[in-house]
Amino acid sequence: MSRTHPEAAATFLRDSERAAWHDEALWFVRQKRDTATALPEWEALRDAGAALKAHAMGRLAELLETFEARATAAGVTVHWARDADEHNALVLDILQGAGATRVAKSKSMLTEECGLNPVLEANGIEVVDTDLGERIVQLAHEPPSHIVLPAIHWKKEEIGALFHRTMGTPAGESSPDALAAAARDHLRDALLHADAAITGANALVAETGGVVVCTNEGNADLGMHSAPLHIVCVGIEKVLATLDDLAVLLRILARSATGQPITAYTTHVTAPRPGARMHVVLVDNGRSARLADAEMRSALHCIRCGACLNTCPIYRRSGGHSYGHVIPGPIGAILAPAVDLKLHRDLPFASTLCGSCGDVCPVRIDIPAQLLAWRARSAAAGASPAGYATIFNRLGWILADRRRFDRAGRWVRRALRLIPSALLAGRWNPWTRAGRELPLAPRESFREWARREGRLK
Amino acid sequence: MNARDAILSSIRAAAVPPSAAAALVVPAGSTSDPLDQFLQALASVGGHGIVRRADQTIGSMVAALFGGDQGTVVVVPGRFAVAENGAVYVDAADLDARADIVRAEHLVLVVPSAALVATMHEAVRLMPRDSACGWFLSGPSKTADIEQSLVVGAQGARTLHVIFDTG
Repeated sequence: MSRTHPEAAATFLRDSERAAWHDEALWFVRQKRDTATALPEWEALRDAGAALKAHAMGRLAELLETFEARATAAGVTVHWARDADEHNALVLDILQGAGATRVAKSKSMLTEECGLNPVLEANGIEVVDTDLGERIVQLAHEPPSHIVLPAIHWKKEEIGALFHRTMGTPAGESSPDALAAAARDHLRDALLHADAAITGANALVAETGGVVVCTNEGNADLGMHSAPLHIVCVGIEKVLATLDDLAVLLRILARSATGQPITAYTTHVTAPRPGARMHVVLVDNGRSARLADAEMRSALHCIRCGACLNTCPIYRRSGGHSYGHVIPGPIGAILAPAVDLKLHRDLPFASTLCGSCGDVCPVRIDIPAQLLAWRARSAAAGASPAGYATIFNRLGWILADRRRFDRAGRWVRRALRLIPSALLAGRWNPWTRAGRELPLAPRESFREWARREGRLK
Repeated sequence: MNARDAILSSIRAAAVPPSAAAALVVPAGSTSDPLDQFLQALASVGGHGIVRRADQTIGSMVAALFGGDQGTVVVVPGRFAVAENGAVYVDAADLDARADIVRAEHLVLVVPSAALVATMHEAVRLMPRDSACGWFLSGPSKTADIEQSLVVGAQGARTLHVIFDTG
């Protein structure tokens, strides 16, 4: 690992003004979500969301086969990819077979996960990410910092400077209206003249063989209905059984993501348009292995709404890039360790276990429980930093016995009052190193106070 | 083993226990005035809803909205509308080209006023079973990717009007 989450977060927090702005921007989205989810049947919708995903996982192989059969019958070519390399090679092969050199891509976390863009570019194919936020981070040679709001960490003045350099907008122009207007021309040009469109999918529907894509900008539709070739890259966990399930998904997805009742564009496509070709690449990349892990299985239910990111006090104050994984935030912190526990062993600790992520999850993934379970696995695998095992074993020994606990408490309270604060706030102390003060230790414990007051027998 | 068989057998080997299908959600407080709810929802997502009066034609209404500048206006039929989110379902079978839906600078959707349902639960059941492509369109194209500032007319339609056709 290049940097641990606390190290990367410390860098992010160095600019405290920006960190506070980032925090507020995301809390604003969280509040919009609260307003949009104030429906009498909201909790019933969450129950249904959890149930329809569990149902689909229980029938996953069968649903994928049904989807494949229906899509194939409608003239779609369906491919299967075991891992990222296989996925990238398949997409490259389809593009090269069609002689495509200009690709317009709409939002897809899966292609980020697989690292598709560098592979295509290395083979002489130009890729334009057409979601505005994704285009901003692509022009800046950065990964997205959020799964729904890829450029949430960018200020409009910085976007203005970036567009001035890359698109020739007037210097100093930073109004969102003007910048979005410039991007409209730039992106429509790429979308309408692409040889191929690549999109992700928010869902596949086994009942119809349909691919469902949700956007607000309309970029996915501009691409897929203009280019002669449309490639859908999608994880196998995205398949739903029925349109009834899709209704629930569409009711919870945008409300949780951005506080909208539904996205501006919700496209259900089952067949290529006449004269065009459509491919769907179904990608495993570790998902089927995770399915066998009963304790962590439900992380696959994630619909990528981002609500857990927006609400998380750690994510909001550390930024998406501090996680070092394609999916940041609480959901990323339980997905990443399954990919590589050693590499991402710090992520399950990037949480206060406050539980807010679980409370807002529209499909009721128990993220806090899985964060805790990953901490246990991280420790069991010996992936904890040196000394952790000794410290926690000793702590456990103290906490297991009341007299030891009382005695330790007395010593520590006394020590904290006696040791000079300059010594306590040394570089060795991660608490004070982050700019926090140690609270003054009380003279007595609650139990001692109660005894002194005669309230304890 | 090819990728397809490897993935399917890996899924089956995971032996995920069967789990019942989701129960149908019954919206608790269905509105007494779905048209009013639709118009409010549509306005909240930046669209405009109008009900055709007996003395108007669709042509006269579009002319009144856009005047002589109708070259970038596309008028398409919507099959039905959804009160809870201001969305209108449009099927590709009713269009000259699928791309019309996003290439149009201004989109006008004409929906029979009787074809209004309360929520997406009813809406998905009205989607044509043989549809090659269809959309739920809720307001014009928009983005909030620059500092969460809402900009209408991101890449697709800059304006979206829904005309309820009482005829």
